[in-house]
Amino acid sequence: MKTLWNETARIEAYIFGSYGIADSLVFKANLLLDPDLAEKVSYQNKTYTIIQKYGREQVKIEIDLIHQKLFTLPEHSSFRQKIKQLFTKQ
Amino acid sequence: MNTINHTLKREEFFIELYKKAFPIVAKFIANRGGNFNEAKDIFHDALVIYYEKNVAGSLPVNTNETAYLVGIAKHLWFKRFNNNVSNISLDDFDVADINITEEASAQRIINFLEKSGRKCMELLKSFYYDKQPLTEIAELYGFSGIRSATVQKYKCLEKIRESIKQKALQYEDFME
Repeated sequence: MKTLWNETARIEAYIFGSYGIADSLVFKANLLLDPDLAEKVSYQNKTYTIIQKYGREQVKIEIDLIHQKLFTLPEHSSFRQKIKQLFTKQ
Repeated sequence: MNTINHTLKREEFFIELYKKAFPIVAKFIANRGGNFNEAKDIFHDALVIYYEKNVAGSLPVNTNETAYLVGIAKHLWFKRFNNNVSNISLDDFDVADINITEEASAQRIINFLEKSGRKCMELLKSFYYDKQPLTEIAELYGFSGIRSATVQKYKCLEKIRESIKQKALQYEDFME
């Protein structure tokens, strides 16, 4: 088995599929024998999901700030006008 | 190597894309009876998807970035129009493995982690979401090198995992 320095890293290798077949089988055997490990795998999976969701939220906040700049700062007034015209023609 | 996973570079990247692609998307949506806010929402979701594909290295080779981004926005618009859904979710597109019943609990957990574990969340976001290389992460967060950044990353992952476990016991639907 790969020498990964801690359990969290080993769980990650298993979840991300970076183990080879033999290492993966050993890990699966450990999962059957150790309910605590199985629980940690489950929560670590949830953790990646939460990080992904958090990342998206943060990028959306950055994009909102950029939008505010583009639609308020004087140096972007020609861009702003161009967009506004599209919606006033309706 | 990608550089847009860095906050300042990302801002330049988004502004450039905004100026090139938003007029095209806005015109497309205006011509179909959509309003400014709908165009903005669709475009922002398209930018997020484009960003995620870019940092993950999953954009097709030799992609015209403006055309590709406009394509995503049109796809989102048609999806909203055809489904008659007033509020399209980014999670419908791909990547996030989270269902609607989990959504509220996940949000509460994020709100909690933003207060109690912000530093770790930022570090983990840099690595797992922005796909920033460990060398850059070490520099950004003041670690002595890749090894130290790796150790810290796993410590944070474990800490956040345990926090989620504690909170999930309160929000039972999260682990269903």
